[in-house]
Amino acid sequence: MSDVKMRGLTIDGRTVRAAEGTSVLKAAELAGIAIPHFCYHPAFEAEGNCRMCLVEIEGLPKLDLACSTIVREGMIVRTSTPSVLRARRDVLEFLLAEHPLDCPICDKAGECKLQEYYDRHGLFPGRFVEAKEKRDKKVAIGKGLVLDRERCILCTRCVRFLRKVTGTGELGVFERGVRAEIGIYDGVPVDNNYSGNLVDICPVGAITDTDFRFKTRAWFLRKGPTVCSHCSRGCAVIVESVTGYPLGEGQRKVFRIKAGENASVNGTWMCDLGRAGRRDIDERRLVRVMSNAAPEEELSWQKALADVTAMIRAVPGPERSAKIAVVLNSRLTCEELALAKKVFTDGLSLGKIFFADPKPGAADGLLLTEERMPNARGVLQSGFAQLLPDLDTLMAAEVLLVFGSHLLEHFSEEAVFRALAGIRSKFLFSAHASPLDRSAKIVFPVAVPAEKSGTYINIDGLRQSFGRAVEPPLGVTSELEILGCLASGLGLNRGEPDAC
Amino acid sequence: MIEDAVRLIPADDSSWRIEAYLRRGGYEAARKAVTFMAPQDVIAEVRRAGLRGRGGAGFPAGLKWSFVPQGGTAPKYLCVNADEGEPGTFKDRAILVRNPHALIEGLIIAAFGVGIHQAFIYVRGEYASIAGRLEEALAEARAKGFLGRGIFGSAFGLEVVVHFGAGAYICGEETALLESVEGRRGQPRLKPPFPAIVGLFRSPTVINNVETLANVPLIIGRGADWFAARGIPKDGGTRIFGVSGAVRRPGLYELPVGTPLRTIIEEHAGGPPDGVAIKAVVPGGLSAPVLKPAELDVPMDFDSLARAGSMLGSAGIIVIGDRTPILDVLEVTARFYAHESCGQCTPCRLGTSWIHKIVSRIAEGKGRPADLELILDLAVGMKGRTLCPMGDAAAMPVHAIVSKFREELERTVIP
Repeated sequence: MSDVKMRGLTIDGRTVRAAEGTSVLKAAELAGIAIPHFCYHPAFEAEGNCRMCLVEIEGLPKLDLACSTIVREGMIVRTSTPSVLRARRDVLEFLLAEHPLDCPICDKAGECKLQEYYDRHGLFPGRFVEAKEKRDKKVAIGKGLVLDRERCILCTRCVRFLRKVTGTGELGVFERGVRAEIGIYDGVPVDNNYSGNLVDICPVGAITDTDFRFKTRAWFLRKGPTVCSHCSRGCAVIVESVTGYPLGEGQRKVFRIKAGENASVNGTWMCDLGRAGRRDIDERRLVRVMSNAAPEEELSWQKALADVTAMIRAVPGPERSAKIAVVLNSRLTCEELALAKKVFTDGLSLGKIFFADPKPGAADGLLLTEERMPNARGVLQSGFAQLLPDLDTLMAAEVLLVFGSHLLEHFSEEAVFRALAGIRSKFLFSAHASPLDRSAKIVFPVAVPAEKSGTYINIDGLRQSFGRAVEPPLGVTSELEILGCLASGLGLNRGEPDAC
Repeated sequence: MIEDAVRLIPADDSSWRIEAYLRRGGYEAARKAVTFMAPQDVIAEVRRAGLRGRGGAGFPAGLKWSFVPQGGTAPKYLCVNADEGEPGTFKDRAILVRNPHALIEGLIIAAFGVGIHQAFIYVRGEYASIAGRLEEALAEARAKGFLGRGIFGSAFGLEVVVHFGAGAYICGEETALLESVEGRRGQPRLKPPFPAIVGLFRSPTVINNVETLANVPLIIGRGADWFAARGIPKDGGTRIFGVSGAVRRPGLYELPVGTPLRTIIEEHAGGPPDGVAIKAVVPGGLSAPVLKPAELDVPMDFDSLARAGSMLGSAGIIVIGDRTPILDVLEVTARFYAHESCGQCTPCRLGTSWIHKIVSRIAEGKGRPADLELILDLAVGMKGRTLCPMGDAAAMPVHAIVSKFREELERTVIP
């Protein structure tokens, strides 16, 4: 950093220092001065088409773009003179002239740049009395995305994203003048693993996602930042959920997952697989402790966990290593893994500790990794070996604790059931319902990663701690708490759950 | 009028062949430049001649050439702008048809001066039917060894490719032209960087108008002083004035820079027909703000017209007679720019369209008292705020028509 040349300039009377090559817009932002803009996006070169960021630069005869003008030593910039304000107002008036103004039914309402800027820089009565252009309002452009050409302000962020980030270039600008429009080429749809970002970067409601369309309003959403758990990249994401109103009392729903910002991991993007992870948080969830012997009966956590500890205690110390088996997974946080280590390895001296994880998929060269679990590095750092069990070994156990349902990805349901049939005490700790549930003596519902706080270590060895992004359903708890209960139930020194 | 030997547009239709051009002393200037002159001296000579860009902006040609970084082995390009799209302008067409070798010779000299070995001639799509002569002329020049490798026995080589546009006015804007040559949607690039630094295929590029280059052989052949003396200080040479509209003899008139507008219209083009009086004159292609009859004594050079609140532009003079309703002129103007806006940037895309919608409504007899003020306001909202000069090109004539003919328009708007 020391060899970066700094430039001193004045923006609205404030002295600002910015690195050589910084745009006026960015320099102003660093100084806390927001210059409105639609087409500029920090991930792309300046495009300069929206004309919203025009500012006054001393010595220049005309207003100039803040997004594309690079800072110079001694530059004097003014961002709120009458001529700048007039230019902004004019751009807003031009854009709104042909805009459908259908905010009441637009999903972007509440987080729309056009709304926001009109509120802050517009507030003029409309002077456009002509017939507005009629355009297609629901063009399916692929991957569940819907393009509304009446709302589009042609900032071309979507076009540039597909050309510069994914390199797939499915969208282009067609026609010209007021009839210019975004579209796909010859009916070939948007088809890449990053399509959801188009919705994130659209500054207005032109590109929406059928998964979110008409489901809720932006202002009801509670935004919880976390780290994505669907591969080992560890992208910053934001889980957006509603708890209670306008849903029913006690109800909770995750409406979408958006990309968060992390310059050293994902920039401002995330993949569609991670985005689809919203279903993981809401769907097929186990929400109560259940004994397969009496599935209808209410079973308390205390009673069920007491059963687990009793079964473990029933195995004499020297035999535990051979007769108790544990299957963990790499979605557990470092904190959970550390505690598992204390309980199972240090406390109970178990030998049969295994891992069952989602199978690897194809990496896409952008963010998505082959590994489809978030914390494989954490597993290794905790001192575990990421060893898949063989069913014969499991069959020999008398007590089996399984965390997660990924055994079924590696073995057929039939084989797993056959192997587990002879085991007396089988306990399953899982967030989601699966066929494995029926094979367990007791099924415990656990939290998904978005409902936990903890630490993951990503594919590059980066440790990332995160907080709880969304509240778990009532009656659901994390593996960390379960392991803590087991530790105290077994009279083991739980110690501090220090991170791995 | 100009003596035949130095006319850019010879009177004789067969003059376009290379033999005719050689008889007029053609390619001697290029030979002189390539075999006797140092490249920097070529540029210096053109700078001294005061040759300003004939495409419309009037930028000094030699100065433009001097911006191209010298040295290095990276490619540099020359693009000839033959996308003559400005309404009222038809001079480059005449050069392409009557004197294509003047253009070719000019581009050889320019390329030699700047150190360029690959040139493109971007011809508007509508000229495809007349471009056969240009292609033939290029073949003639190649056959004579004036193009290709080792021109005039020197180490200098130059290849030329003719590229056709597809009918977009915006492709006459130099950076949109570059996009179009590269095979992309024709829309302007953000400047800076300027084409002299980052142009065609991201390489340093010179873009010159046809008439600009056709003048270059005269400068090198007869000297900067001779050329400069034919015009006025800082604006040398002659211009090909295209006169159309309400005159007896519409056509092209090649006259010294600085010839008064009234002289061109009254003496050369014969003035308006009987019974017609001049209502307005567009002096330099449709983008140039209109002048009223009392403003016609202005000398036709870049600076004088700028002082008069208009511009020399492409020197296409459109004379509007008093039988033409000014609303028609406004409607045609508004329609043209709304039709030709590329749609890339907000003020031009929506401003041109909005103005056209208002003007069309007025033309349907549904004008409102506030309309004219609104049009002026929208024009102000476009001017100086767009990505390329087209915003100004659209805003200025509309603003001038409405403000200068307000009374007549008000009578139309509120019948």
